[in-house]
Amino acid sequence: MLDIVFLAATALFVVMAILYVRACERLKGTKS
Amino acid sequence: MTANGWFQILFFLLAIFLVTKPLGIFMTRVFNREKTLLDRALRPIEKILYRLVGVDENHEMRWTEYTIAMLLFSGVSMTLLYLLERTQKWLPFNPQKLSNVEPGLAFGTAASFTTNTNWQSYVPESTMSYLTQMAGLAYHNFVSAAVGIVLAIVVIRGIARRETEKLGNFWVDTTRCLLWVLLPFCLVGSLVLVSQGVVQNLKPYTIVELTDPQTVRVTDADGKTTSQRVTQQLIAQGPVASQEVIKEFGTNGGGFFNANSAHPFENPTPLANFVELVLIFAIPSGLTYTLGRMTRSQRHGWAVWAAMAFLFLAGITATYWAEAKGNSLLSGADQHATGQQSGGNMEGKEVRFGIANSVLFATVTTDASCGAVNSMHDSYTPVGGMVPLINIMLGEVVFGGVGAGLYGIFVFVVLAVFIAGLMVGRTPEYLGKKIESYDVKMAMLAVLILTFTILGFSALAVIKPFGTAGISNPGPHGFSQILYAYVSSTGNNGSAFAGINANTMWYNTSTAVAQLLGRFFMIIPIMAIAGNLARKKTVPESAGTFPVTGALFSTLLVSTILIVGALTFFPALSLGPILEHLLMMAGKAF
Repeated sequence: MLDIVFLAATALFVVMAILYVRACERLKGTKS
Repeated sequence: MTANGWFQILFFLLAIFLVTKPLGIFMTRVFNREKTLLDRALRPIEKILYRLVGVDENHEMRWTEYTIAMLLFSGVSMTLLYLLERTQKWLPFNPQKLSNVEPGLAFGTAASFTTNTNWQSYVPESTMSYLTQMAGLAYHNFVSAAVGIVLAIVVIRGIARRETEKLGNFWVDTTRCLLWVLLPFCLVGSLVLVSQGVVQNLKPYTIVELTDPQTVRVTDADGKTTSQRVTQQLIAQGPVASQEVIKEFGTNGGGFFNANSAHPFENPTPLANFVELVLIFAIPSGLTYTLGRMTRSQRHGWAVWAAMAFLFLAGITATYWAEAKGNSLLSGADQHATGQQSGGNMEGKEVRFGIANSVLFATVTTDASCGAVNSMHDSYTPVGGMVPLINIMLGEVVFGGVGAGLYGIFVFVVLAVFIAGLMVGRTPEYLGKKIESYDVKMAMLAVLILTFTILGFSALAVIKPFGTAGISNPGPHGFSQILYAYVSSTGNNGSAFAGINANTMWYNTSTAVAQLLGRFFMIIPIMAIAGNLARKKTVPESAGTFPVTGALFSTLLVSTILIVGALTFFPALSLGPILEHLLMMAGKAF
């Protein structure tokens, strides 16, 4: 059970990091 | 402090200065894909690897594609290490028949080695099989170091290139880093260490009869104390040298043995100690030269190097002074250095290294994001232990981790030229590129993620029983243990205030999250700055351009690093080592 939790957490972190990349890219497009 | 000690410290800095240029030039040639001496041997291997995995070596990536490739690579590598740890009992190269690693510890260790932290909340020689050490941990020692280096190269390309979106190919850069930079040096380095007595074998641990049997008192789980006669000792060994060299050269820090570089099989002689120290700073120092060469501003590279060297000397002076002075509460003990003894505070230090080589190792390993230790930082005086803590808090930009030091100081360079621009009322420029609000916002995101993670987790751990259960000393020293754990994890350093028991579900998972945030959520905004800089045109220097090549720039850079660090962490330091020092002066110890 814990194995599934930790493997899922790893995958979730990678997804969140990729979303952060996209967010940083989008921020460039907004007026500052 | 002794003249001999200072001679060794300055000789070490001279050695670092001397390796900077040749290594910097070599890395420039490797990442610019120019000719090197190793091409004849390595180029065919490189081509085969690309053909096998379908990489187009001429395809260049935008910063987003590059970063996502790095994230996916790291995620897959971390998963594989986790699975390896969880199945080692059924796999080969496990002569001690060690069982599978517990899930929480396996997750923490997988995150730790993927992020180049190498924080170890376990005893390696009784937890990890040879296969896990070689194919899991040592593999990550290489690839996490390579990832750090290639990200620094992308930052340099971002500064050097103009009006382009292309910053290189992650797979090509990483492959070339492994084949040209890390593997050849480590092959030679491991043989040098073997020549000094570092072991390298796959034998089961050896049982030996003690020449002087000991009687020890053992307390069992019920609290009953009995006497036991110990006549034998189990001597752990294994493929140490091959892991030891990348442990330092890749600023990883995870020891083959629990005692790390204090263990005679990892660090047997003064020469081995010196080689290991040079290995830690070699690449980070060389990368400052690569920065200058690739941006065609060698003086800028040296200005960054000078700022780093100044901070290194400031740190080592403070630690050396504090440790050589000793503990004021030990009034009856002779703590003076003589021909017969090191003097000073020798608790937690190897007699063979003495004060100078212990504090030098502690300073170097925390200036860089290495985390290897040859003495126990928990046993330092409050001020002596505070300096390693501050070194990591500053972002490990004093030469720093391989690649991480350079892209870390790049954030402060952006902030420094921004501040300089504000002072003179002009748009800040950095090597011909205008620094705009987007770049400064990204730089602040990189700074803030470290602050948020360190202070947030530390605050939670000190008010909850699951956090305070791990500490071994009360009062400010216990606070320092917790603070150090999150500073070290977030900074991807990996050294520990050894007194803390971090092998609990809370510490294994929370430090893993801190390591992942500190590594990847810091890198992403920095990569965004690199991508943004590469897109820009260069503007010619004018009378209003702040020069980034001289002593004034180095001074401003050092000031920016210190001000940001002090404003962020001074309150936390005052609750830990500063308070402990003041109480020690008043006669109270913890």
